[in-house]
Amino acid sequence: MRGVSLTLTQGLVHGLVGANGAGKSTLIKIIAGAERPTAGVLRWQGTPADWRRPADAQAAGVAVVHQQSPVAPALSVLENVYLGQKSARLWRPRDRQRDFDALCSSIGFAIDPSAPVSELSVGDRQMVSILRALAQHPSLILLDEPTASITPAERAGVLGAVRSLATSGVAVVFVSHFLNEVMQVCDVVSVLRDGTLVDELDASSMSVERMVSGIVGNRLRAVENSKPAHEFGPAVLKVRNLKSVRMAEPVTLDVKRGEIVGIAGLLGSGRTSLLKAIFGADRRTSGEVLVDDKPLAPSPAAAVKGGVAFVPEDRLGQGLIGDWEIWRNVSMADLGQLSRRFKLLNPAKERARAIQACAELGVVAASIDTPVKDLSGGNAQKVVFAKWIYKAHHVLLLDEPTAGVDVGGKADLIKLIRALAARGMGIVVVLSEFEELLSVTDRVLVLRHGNITADFASDEVSVSELTASAGGLA
Amino acid sequence: MSDDEQRGSGTPRPSFVTRVSPALHSLRPQRAGVAYALIILVVVLAIATAAKGQPAYLSSINVSNILGQAAPDAILAIFMTVVLISGNFDLSVASVAALAAALALKTIDSIGTAPAVILALAVGAMVGLINAVLVQKIGVNAFIVTLGSLTAVRGIVLIALNGESVTAHSQSLVALDSTILQVPVPVCILFGILLIVLAVLRLRQVNDGASPPLDGFFVALVLMGIGCLIVPVIAPALLTEPLPVWLMIWVTVGVSVGLRFLIAGRNLYAVGSNAEAARLSGINVGIYKMVPFVLSGAAAAGVGLIYAGRFNSVDPNALTGTELTVIAAAILGGTSLFGGAGYVAKSVLGTIVLFTLSNGFNVLNLGSNYQYVVQGAVLVAASAVYTVAARSPARRTSTRPSAEPPATTTPGESQSEASHAALGTS
Repeated sequence: MRGVSLTLTQGLVHGLVGANGAGKSTLIKIIAGAERPTAGVLRWQGTPADWRRPADAQAAGVAVVHQQSPVAPALSVLENVYLGQKSARLWRPRDRQRDFDALCSSIGFAIDPSAPVSELSVGDRQMVSILRALAQHPSLILLDEPTASITPAERAGVLGAVRSLATSGVAVVFVSHFLNEVMQVCDVVSVLRDGTLVDELDASSMSVERMVSGIVGNRLRAVENSKPAHEFGPAVLKVRNLKSVRMAEPVTLDVKRGEIVGIAGLLGSGRTSLLKAIFGADRRTSGEVLVDDKPLAPSPAAAVKGGVAFVPEDRLGQGLIGDWEIWRNVSMADLGQLSRRFKLLNPAKERARAIQACAELGVVAASIDTPVKDLSGGNAQKVVFAKWIYKAHHVLLLDEPTAGVDVGGKADLIKLIRALAARGMGIVVVLSEFEELLSVTDRVLVLRHGNITADFASDEVSVSELTASAGGLA
Repeated sequence: MSDDEQRGSGTPRPSFVTRVSPALHSLRPQRAGVAYALIILVVVLAIATAAKGQPAYLSSINVSNILGQAAPDAILAIFMTVVLISGNFDLSVASVAALAAALALKTIDSIGTAPAVILALAVGAMVGLINAVLVQKIGVNAFIVTLGSLTAVRGIVLIALNGESVTAHSQSLVALDSTILQVPVPVCILFGILLIVLAVLRLRQVNDGASPPLDGFFVALVLMGIGCLIVPVIAPALLTEPLPVWLMIWVTVGVSVGLRFLIAGRNLYAVGSNAEAARLSGINVGIYKMVPFVLSGAAAAGVGLIYAGRFNSVDPNALTGTELTVIAAAILGGTSLFGGAGYVAKSVLGTIVLFTLSNGFNVLNLGSNYQYVVQGAVLVAASAVYTVAARSPARRTSTRPSAEPPATTTPGESQSEASHAALGTS
């Protein structure tokens, strides 16, 4: 961070937008007392505050809801909401219940307080985190990407809660990558770039275009909505009655060379399970997968050998080894090609590929010896892509390739996906953002409860039609 | 009034701090701690013995003595480290070694040396395989599985020996422990020169830019090269050692080289670091999780044979508790209990540290009761150093000018719009 001034006012929702690494999280951490500013003053209700620990900020009335809030899965909703509360009053079940009901009604949310959190959806867990923050009766709530991983329906609930918070007189800071949400709920919007505040306006006079140009700065705006026209080849991936232990129904689909097929579905519709089943990562119970008409044995090793690549949703958990440098991650899936005879490693060759990959994909890092856990979301995702695109691949399976990636990085990735399709790969992509999905893909399959219920050409369907179809309305 | 004003201004901080060359980095206490611990220990003991007017502590005889005592446990520690790197745990090694020793001594007089040895090794590998299947295929936690086999295998030893110790008439196992091998001085010097030449070649490679920066392996290469040149001059007696010591050295070098230079070695670390990422990269995780158990079982049996040869006899409670010494040695060497990190050579140094400690207590006549207190304290202190070092990454970086070769810094520092051209045309 290089010097930011910000004023937060009671009863207003203050939007904070910016690319990954722009300094949003650092700013949040400073306000929450998790980090101390190296210069400048933090004034709380008029007086300078020197918070050394998060507990200090909390005592003053600041509550934080993190991106993936740690909730104790084994405990009930009620226990989670009042976790760490010291007030004796709240130990009386009746008072606690009354307090809980008041909290719930204040944000217009209803949930069974005795339900164990482990059984809740991601969206409901997010609501529990918000309730937990509210239970501290704060005067300021910091929400760090509260809608990042939840479905559109649940999103509406969270956004509604944010509005009612502000109405009740709390100051709210709302950090999000979803600019339409920011426009929808915020009163004031601040744009951060490279650790400085580049723009601040009332939401009423702010436009999405202005926000985007503030976020990306001088970088070229690369998201093209016009797709380059290209020819498709023969079907490269054929999935026939495929069912895995995690899938509800068998699925059949075809993907042609050069084609980008999107899977549209709500959370829980079995999108990830479908990709994993094709890749052989979940145990297959029936059906078959053919790549170039050759059947694929049901294991990731066989899939990789057969020319199928999988970019998982959880980048650091499943796509990369966080402690490893960029170069060892890039070569991980292709050591056979990158080594000498007798299975001897050839680091020079591996590193050459990593250098090539970083240059071609525009990975911003100090060097190829940087551990990938130090990279931002977009750069880490480019490293995951780099693992696969230099192999002779036929099929690419992408699970939420742009999740947690800033606007600029998204544009890069979308360009990359299109370039890969143009090379003749068949691509299957799962994306929660339907608008993005339509802009990337040639064809969209709607998945509902594990069934493919519709098949649209991307040019001929609107986001609202797709949403309705995925939600079972059409 | 909730009027919260926030100003944060300061000097801009680069997002990536330049790192010190990994060659120097590998010499820092949190990485090479076990080597420093050994040096400090030896210096303290040398001074203490000199002060008490005892014979020189660092005499060739005493050093050989320590190496000979440490060798069997060090071999166990090597394979324990391999299991730990794969992300698992093997508590059964001492029991397996005892079982192998008991089986070999019981059968050698009736079926002959080779069949008895093969039987012992096969049984060891089989126990390892059972552990592996229970852990990998059934999914039981490795700690629990091997705690079970630790107990059960010890039970089999007790049953097999009927509670009494067994002695063999055949002397062939004795040879395993007591055969003395001598490396001729010229061979040692030639080997040292070879290592130095390799190190120089590696150094020249770095200047070409494509190769990885120098790291701890290079440092080890140089130190070993120097060692091979110095030892024949100052302590030629050290070139004459019993077979287990040479086994320890060969296995250390072999496994280290395999882990570093083979695809399988890289994949083992990958599987231990992040099994799911490895699996989704097409690596056969099952093999890399299971083979270490089998190797560990077979190696434990081998160590059991050495142990059997030491007295040509074994009692039912032989080697009890050795598994803990071995795990302690691996931890002293900086091996992670969570997988994906560790070096077998450091675990061997860890074993030598533990045996130097007990040797020192004997030499100084301090009584073995205190020895365990010190051993425990050393273990916890070492882990504390490693943990603290791992926790504060800020300390591990430095703003000193980088010693890395220029070509390794920076692909793609420019912004991305410039860099798509290549893809479009490929």
